[in-house]
Amino acid sequence: MACVSTDVVVLDAAVDDTRTINRALRALPDGARARIEHARGRHNLAVGLHHPVTVDVVGNAGYYCGALGERATVRVDGSVGWCAGENLMSGSVTVRGHAGQSTGASAHGGLVVVHGDAGARTAISLKGGRVAVAGSIGHAGAFMAQAGVLLVGGDAGDGLGDSLYEATVFVAGRIASLGADARVEDLTDDDVAVAVALADEAGFDHIDATSLTKVTSARSLYRFDALAAQRY
Amino acid sequence: MCGIAGLLITDPDQRPQLGALLAPIFEAMTPRGPDSAGLALYGDGVEVHKQVGPATKLTADMALADRGGTCGIAHTRMATESAVTTEGCHPFMAGDDVGLVHNGSFSNYATVRRDLAATGVSFDSDNDSEVCCRLLAEQLAAGAGLAEALGSVPDRMDGFYTLLVATPSEMAILRDPAGCKPAVVAEGSGWVAVASEYHALSELPGIDEAHVFEPAPLEVHTWRA
Amino acid sequence: MPRTPRPSATFPAAVIEQIHELSDVGHYEIRGWGAKRAVPSFDDLTFLTSSLTRYPLEGYREAIDTTTVLGAGRAERPLVLDVPITIAGMSFGSLSAAAKEALGRAASAVGTSTTTGDGGMTPEERQASAKLVYQCLPSRYGFTPADLRVADAVEVVVGQGAKPGGGGMLLGQKVGERVAAMRTLPEGVDQRSASRHPDWTGPDDLRIKIDELREATDGQVPIFVKMGATRVPYDVKLAVAAGADVVVVDGMQGGTGATQDVFIEHTGIPTLPAVRQAAEALRDLDVHHDVQLIVSGGIRSGADVAKALALGADAVSIGVAALVALGCNRSTTTGDDRSPPEDVTDDYLALGATPGTCHHCHTGRCPVGITTQDPELEARLDVERASRRVENYLRSLTMELTTLARACGKSDVHNLEPEDLVALTVEAAAMAGVPLAGTSWVPGAGAGLP
Ligand code: SF4
Repeated sequence: MACVSTDVVVLDAAVDDTRTINRALRALPDGARARIEHARGRHNLAVGLHHPVTVDVVGNAGYYCGALGERATVRVDGSVGWCAGENLMSGSVTVRGHAGQSTGASAHGGLVVVHGDAGARTAISLKGGRVAVAGSIGHAGAFMAQAGVLLVGGDAGDGLGDSLYEATVFVAGRIASLGADARVEDLTDDDVAVAVALADEAGFDHIDATSLTKVTSARSLYRFDALAAQRY
Repeated sequence: MCGIAGLLITDPDQRPQLGALLAPIFEAMTPRGPDSAGLALYGDGVEVHKQVGPATKLTADMALADRGGTCGIAHTRMATESAVTTEGCHPFMAGDDVGLVHNGSFSNYATVRRDLAATGVSFDSDNDSEVCCRLLAEQLAAGAGLAEALGSVPDRMDGFYTLLVATPSEMAILRDPAGCKPAVVAEGSGWVAVASEYHALSELPGIDEAHVFEPAPLEVHTWRA
Repeated sequence: MPRTPRPSATFPAAVIEQIHELSDVGHYEIRGWGAKRAVPSFDDLTFLTSSLTRYPLEGYREAIDTTTVLGAGRAERPLVLDVPITIAGMSFGSLSAAAKEALGRAASAVGTSTTTGDGGMTPEERQASAKLVYQCLPSRYGFTPADLRVADAVEVVVGQGAKPGGGGMLLGQKVGERVAAMRTLPEGVDQRSASRHPDWTGPDDLRIKIDELREATDGQVPIFVKMGATRVPYDVKLAVAAGADVVVVDGMQGGTGATQDVFIEHTGIPTLPAVRQAAEALRDLDVHHDVQLIVSGGIRSGADVAKALALGADAVSIGVAALVALGCNRSTTTGDDRSPPEDVTDDYLALGATPGTCHHCHTGRCPVGITTQDPELEARLDVERASRRVENYLRSLTMELTTLARACGKSDVHNLEPEDLVALTVEAAAMAGVPLAGTSWVPGAGAGLP
């Protein structure tokens, strides 16, 4: 179980099961710090935390790392599997390495940062959260994203922004293709300010915010009657 | 609906460790497919092992950790539409030595199966993955290379899939157009490993320096032993 | 007088009308309710109650247990219901807040649960429902960990009987200010939700998702998996493999607030064979004591409930029937303490319906204030009176159920069994796997029915 060393609670995934680790994290006092060692791709670490604590995951985490979180700060020094920061409400999930599919899926708030690349469906179904990827993302990024911001420091795969609602996507590199109802819009000064602030908060220094490509919804699928003229 | 695992050794010095390195990747896929397990092991020729029950039982029964070789592809199965039997276990073998493991489900396999059967192809199981395997065998027999044959699978097979295929000299992977089923590839020094979930690869020696990525949909990746 | 030409059996008036409509608008028809065509149903079964081989219980005097425990296999706090009849998931958005509240109050009064829907949990609903099942749907509209923590069970919705394999719909006229805010959507948008969940596809990944929900709820509450009835034996087994504590199977008669007519009428299998197949799948896996089965889709009466239980369900859930109890398809509003019920037949006619044939929930113009977001229409449903009706209805269903169970000699409704039933038609006998009445013939038995 937990042992305290210089005010960081250390949990060992090689010893404890996921439930034990998550219970120990939930039991931490506000402002506490914890470290999970030997994560080795364990799924569902630091899920559902809802108080201000900082959790460092040593190594690689599996699916749903830091998902369903509120107010907590979760940092992974390796890579993660699918769905990091899924349904995040507030707080942040930061991944030093790469992230698998559906990173930041359905995040209502908070910030998901990936310093490497992220897989397909990054920021799918986004609902107000912000997702920042330093590298590239796979296909179907921001699929049906409703609100919030996705910032991509590298390239974006096929079908970016398909069926977007009111979320905004900024891409520094190339876009393989846009999805249905997504369109490129001119960058405004406000957009640049938003992107600069997000890049700063994420700790990215390689993005020129003034030359980003901005993708938003063409809003042609908002009314059902428009279906008659669409591909389906 | 399953887990897949694969390991190709490119550095001849590491070949004796094939089984020892592959076993933990294979076993880590057990929760994705607890019904049955199977493995095709390439070295001097190819051996296929399959049985009902968890992967840990199979790896123990065949002492996988003590086995060397060039490549192994493995599968843990959560049966969807066909019975839990040894016949329904992956890998499926096409021709003499092409092995295939599949995670996902094909939505038009019955039609393709009928079409193949009409041309004289016979089947060992009612499994959707075997249909894909027989289709590959047809293409290879007609002279296509592995990458070409695998790349043409989406022309005939509909549905969701990650396919991992091996021959005595190569290993290859393909994901469906939507990239719905998972796959993680790690290209390390002297080896290439594949699994459905990252954690299965996390114990490989040198994994931190390896190039780790999720293959993009419809992109065929091949590696030579 | 010229003779009226012979009507076509292939192209009767209704088909002609439908083709005209499609040729006018260029897209499919969307509507509410469930399948309207006739399918084999529980009506085609009858009970073999007691006479000399079995002895009945005395009505009113000898107690009969209706307590239903869901998710006792794994959850720390299983969902314990006083009756085996629950209220199915229907969203605030599709339903008015008043209708949701009335359903919650009624369910609480009889000791059963209600279920949220696409669009999240409203505080009024949580307040009104003593036991509330929180749905996790592909859209994830308004899905929050805070609501997850106050839920009494979580239901992962893979699909529903009205549209197995299809996503949710809510037309713009119902996406008012509050609904739009809860779903993070622009006001007035014709909402079409995803068909697949954003974070998993297939049972192998669902297993990890269910573990995630268990972590977020600290293993306290049961996790349900709800599916439309299609390849039932496989789907039930896979749901169990993925970790479901309770499997919910919704037959093709299951209702919807808004779905393509082609989906409603032409997909899935009827509830009757679905129950049998689901119960058999759980028995095959030998988990029928640990994993509970809820069935839904066209349940209307205590007889339906009793037959579903006899075929292996642990509970049923009702949607359309609960709305009808609220006052759906009545010619009058509920009225309230200040004003008497008002005849609203003209409002049905304006929708192109009549009281008794309405399926116009998708329009948001519900004449009796149930499936609407219009404050004036919503005011036509008095929460107090409407909830009393649903409470009465739930109590009536329970009395009908216990009447049949007592007559079969059961002191617990869950002791009803398939052997208590025979079928009135060959079709029903084959689908339910019980003998045709007066014979020992179960058509298809032993044929390795999938
Ligand atoms: S009366 Fe209201 S709830 Fe009933 S079918 Fe019509 S619109 Fe729907």
